[in-house]
Parts: sequence; C-alpha cells; structure tokens
Amino acid sequence: MNAFDLTEDQHDCLQELINVAMGQASDQLARYLDTFVYLKVPSIEQVKAEHLFDTLNNDLKATAVVSQGFFGYEGIRGEALLMYQPQDSNRLADLLGYEADELTFDEQIIDLSSILTTTFLNVFASQIDNQMSYSAPRLLSSSLDKINQHLKQQSFNWDFALKVRISYQVTDYSFNCDMVLLIPEEAITNIKTVIDRILADF
Amino acid sequence: MSTNVLICDDSNLARKQVLRSLPESLSTDVQLAKDGQEALEILRRQSIDILFLDLTMPIIDGLGVLQALKDEGIQLPVFVISADVQPEMQSRVLGLGAKAFLRKPIALDTLNEHLRNHGFL
Amino acid sequence: MLDALCSNILNRLNTGILILDKDFNILMWNRFLEVHANKSDKQVIGKSIFAVFPELPRKWFERKLSSVIQLKSQSFCGWEQRHHLFELSHSRPITTDSDFMAQNCTFLPVEVEGEVERICILIEDVTDVCHYQMQLNKVLQALALSNRIDGLTQAFNRKHWEECLAAEFSRARRYKQDLSLVMLDLDQFKLLNDTFGHQGGDKVLIETAKAINELLRMGDLFGRYGGEEFAIILPNTNLAGAEDVAERIRQTIANNAIDYKGRSVSVTVSIGVAVIDEQDSRYEDLISHADIALYKAKNNGRNRVCVAEKRNIL
Repeated sequence: MNAFDLTEDQHDCLQELINVAMGQASDQLARYLDTFVYLKVPSIEQVKAEHLFDTLNNDLKATAVVSQGFFGYEGIRGEALLMYQPQDSNRLADLLGYEADELTFDEQIIDLSSILTTTFLNVFASQIDNQMSYSAPRLLSSSLDKINQHLKQQSFNWDFALKVRISYQVTDYSFNCDMVLLIPEEAITNIKTVIDRILADF
Repeated sequence: MSTNVLICDDSNLARKQVLRSLPESLSTDVQLAKDGQEALEILRRQSIDILFLDLTMPIIDGLGVLQALKDEGIQLPVFVISADVQPEMQSRVLGLGAKAFLRKPIALDTLNEHLRNHGFL
Repeated sequence: MLDALCSNILNRLNTGILILDKDFNILMWNRFLEVHANKSDKQVIGKSIFAVFPELPRKWFERKLSSVIQLKSQSFCGWEQRHHLFELSHSRPITTDSDFMAQNCTFLPVEVEGEVERICILIEDVTDVCHYQMQLNKVLQALALSNRIDGLTQAFNRKHWEECLAAEFSRARRYKQDLSLVMLDLDQFKLLNDTFGHQGGDKVLIETAKAINELLRMGDLFGRYGGEEFAIILPNTNLAGAEDVAERIRQTIANNAIDYKGRSVSVTVSIGVAVIDEQDSRYEDLISHADIALYKAKNNGRNRVCVAEKRNIL
C-alpha cells in the first residue's frame, strides 16, 4: 500500500465512472459506425515504471500503438495508449467508412484512436464536472520491436502510474482494440481528491 | 404495505445511487446483490416486487440474469439500469422481458415516470 | 475592449483559425490564413471551403467533419499522415525544400446549446518540424545501413549477415524449403598482401566483392564473413543450383585479373557449398558444413569448388 493506491471505495467509484463513460462512448461509436460494441468490465491497477513495458506486452501482442495526451482542470491528466492487433488492420477502413484507397493504415488507426479516446474521456470528464483537452494523437510505432525499444529505452521520471484498461470489441467487424489510460503519480492524487468529493455525497 | 426491492450492481456506488434515487413515497424493503449470481439466489428464495439490474457485471451479467429468470419462469418487473446504452443492447434487454431501460447515471424523473407507469407510485 | 484585444491577438497568432458552418461555408478566418493563402476576405467569407481550397480531398474531408459533428469530439490530421491539407505558403521558403506549409490540423466542434453548430479548424505551421524530422530520418537510414554494411567491400558485415542467415534458416525449416550456403576464401591472400601491400589487398577484396555481387540474384544475401572470406546465402536453392553459382563465381574470378596500379593481379578463390539438411537444428550447423567443404577445396589444391558431403540420416 502506498500513497497512490486507491481504497476499495475509490476503486469502486472510479470503475463506475469509467463504466458510464465507456457505455456512452461506445453508444456514440456504435451509432457513428453503425455497429455494436461489446463491453467488458474494465481493469484498474497500479503499475511501476519499470514494469510498464511488461504489463503492456502481456495485455496484448500489439503491433501498433497510438498515444494521445489528455489534460483537464484540477490536475487530471495522463496519456491514452490505443493498442491494435495486426490482423485487424485491413478491417479498419471499412469500419471508418472511408474508401480503401483514401487512407493509409497509419492514418486509419490514428483516426479511430482519437475517436475512441476523446469520446470516452469527454463523457468521463463531464461526470466529474471537468473538461478535457487533447494533444494530437501520435503513432508511436507500427511494429512490436520498435514499441519494445521505444518503451525500454526510456527512463521515466515517475515511479507509479494508474493503469486503466478498456477493451473494445466491435462485433460486426470482429475488430478488437485495447485502450490503456496511464495516469501519472501527481494526477492520481488529484483524481483521488475528485473521487473523494463524489463519495462524500453518498 | 412495503415493496420488496432488489438492487443488483457490481458497483457499491451505483447501488447507493439507485437506493438514493428511490422516491420517499415508496416504502421499501431493500436487498442488495453485487453480481448476477447473488441476485438469482435471492430471487429463487423469496418473492421480490421489483429488480433494478445492471448489465456489465462479473460472474453472471445482466443479460444472463434476464435469461435465467425467463428460463426458470420467475416473473417480476425488472428495470435495467445500465451504462451500456447502445440501441442494440436496449432492444436485447427489452426483448428478454425487462420492463424498462434506464441509463446511468440514473435520472430521477425518468425513474419516477417508470415507477408510476408500472403502478409502484 | 477585451473583444478588440482578443481579435487583435487572433490576428497575430502564428496559427491559422478557420470557422465553418455545418454546410462547410467559411464564416471567419484570421490574418495568418489570409496571408498564407494570399486571398482576400471578399474571396473567402461566406464561400464554401471547397471553392476556396479546391485542393482539399472532399470526401475525406466531409467524412472527417461529419465525425466531429456527430460525435461532438475533436479530430486531428497530422503532417506525418498528410503533409498538408491546405495549399499554403510557409515561412521557410528559402531554407527548406517544401512547396507548401506542413500542417497539423485540429477540428474542433463548437456547440451551441448542446448541438454542434460550427466547426473550428486550427492550422499549425509545422514545416520546421517536418523538415528536421525528414533530415533525421535520412540520417537514421544511413546509420542503419552503415550498421549493416562492411565499409570496404559494401557487402553485408558479418553481424548483419548472420542475422539474415538465422532468419532464412528458420524460414526454410518452417516452410520446408531449400537453403544453400556458399563460403569462399581468397587463395594465397597473405602472399598477395605481401607482394602488393595492404592497399593492393584491399583493391582485390573490393573487386572480388563487386564481381561476386554481379553474379547474384535478387534475394541472395552476400556478406563479408572474415578478412578474406565471403559468404552467400542462397534462399530456395538446392545443392546443384548452389554448386552452379559457386562454379560461375570461381571461373569469373579466375578468368579476370584485377588491375592494380597498372599491374595485373591474378586471383583465385576456393569455395565450399552446403545445403540445409533435416539434421541441422541451428544455422551454425550449416556454416560449419560449408566451412568443412571450403577447407577441403583448399586442401585439394585451391581454385576449386567442393560440396559438403551428404550426411547420413541418423
């Protein structure tokens, strides 16, 4: 147990906020893409900086990772990583409604990532009376080797991060993608403050 | 006469939210379940007047509970309260016999309206 | 007062601001765009964005904006995916080779009473970033290449060549394909070095590598294995095919003397050939079989090709 651990009540509250955000985001997505998005219970856990790569790697043999920063009031900030599996790439253009030759693969996953991240976090923020801004989404890499290198070569300036993992499964296209939100230390404290305020209402 | 209410949600916060949203004029006897399996155990044991049911839950999810109620012939009004508000999910739930679909976070007037429509108020 | 200040700042920002209605007509833009598009307000305000900027990919653009309107969430288009959307001039026309401004574009929904009524497009000039990233990419590519290449002969260096062999070996095993290996060594290279000096020796290595390279097919992987030793991976090639390649290499080198400072230097090579065998579990096995054949060629009088003996199935 450390200062960044969530209590059971805080964990429960965060999970419920995420559930609602996930639900509304996938509803918007489902309407926009004209499909059904299957939802699972999200996972919330704390990761140590040195284990970040291993935990991401265990989650998914991702071949493409798109990162997008988010920041709101009250010091709520973090980075969203959208992780894709290789076999899903050719289903994307279909899903987004673009003509196959209009977009490169990179552009497609960046587009989809941005939609997933911003729809989710907009709803999340509105529940805690906040508002998010976003950085431009960036493709970290479209090959696993390079993601390995990218994450391993870095010495992070944080020890702990809160990791929230949400799986999206688009049934019509049997397309899967994992959204991993990583919230750095000082923002965890800020989120805990917000959660405690909500809990105090009950 | 008091109404037997069962609230089934894996989130403590969500259960409290439902509990707090119930109108005061409805005198209730409330039980709580934190997943579909717990809820089914209670429903098989005793008569419940109304079930508030979440969908995305571990062990047995909301759809699983609705299916089990149907299979076992247990009849009672079920109000689904879910974050998963996709139209397809709503129609699945209503197709499985739920009386109402309420979106999370729960809106008081919508809840009251549904309670009134089903004669609880 | 504050309004005037804001509009003053909007017009001095080095970011383009464009506001559209839901039918993609331009309601407002700032000075940055006016200047870089070199068009006047009159030509632009109230007009369709597609009339003002005919270069826009219309279908793509409409789909992008419809997602912003429908999902009420912002969208991006970065220079790495599309160098630019709008054909705008930029501020480094002299010192970069870019025709148009490289852009990061952000599409923001502007809500009025919960409905998206307008779309704000922010256009950032990232010509600088783009320019330096391109330079960096070129350098990285050159660096990656130089990490794989032997500087003298331009063949793959040993490390990279072995990595290639490891990959080809496991591929051949997996798909049950042929894979042959040719190892060759310059004959009497030490003597040659003593006679013509190290520069002469280098010249021989360079010319030999060049001659071998010309005889290879696409997909063959040629590396410098040691001082005067070269090795060639021949994917999808059986023993007879490999032996044929080896023999052609031997003849070509033996028949073409190398010119060094007006003197003619005759060179021969000894060659060992091996093919992948079911018993080979590691790529090193293949190397050692080819190596043994090479030593046989040396011992049998040099300037010849020897083939690894067929191994008995255990």
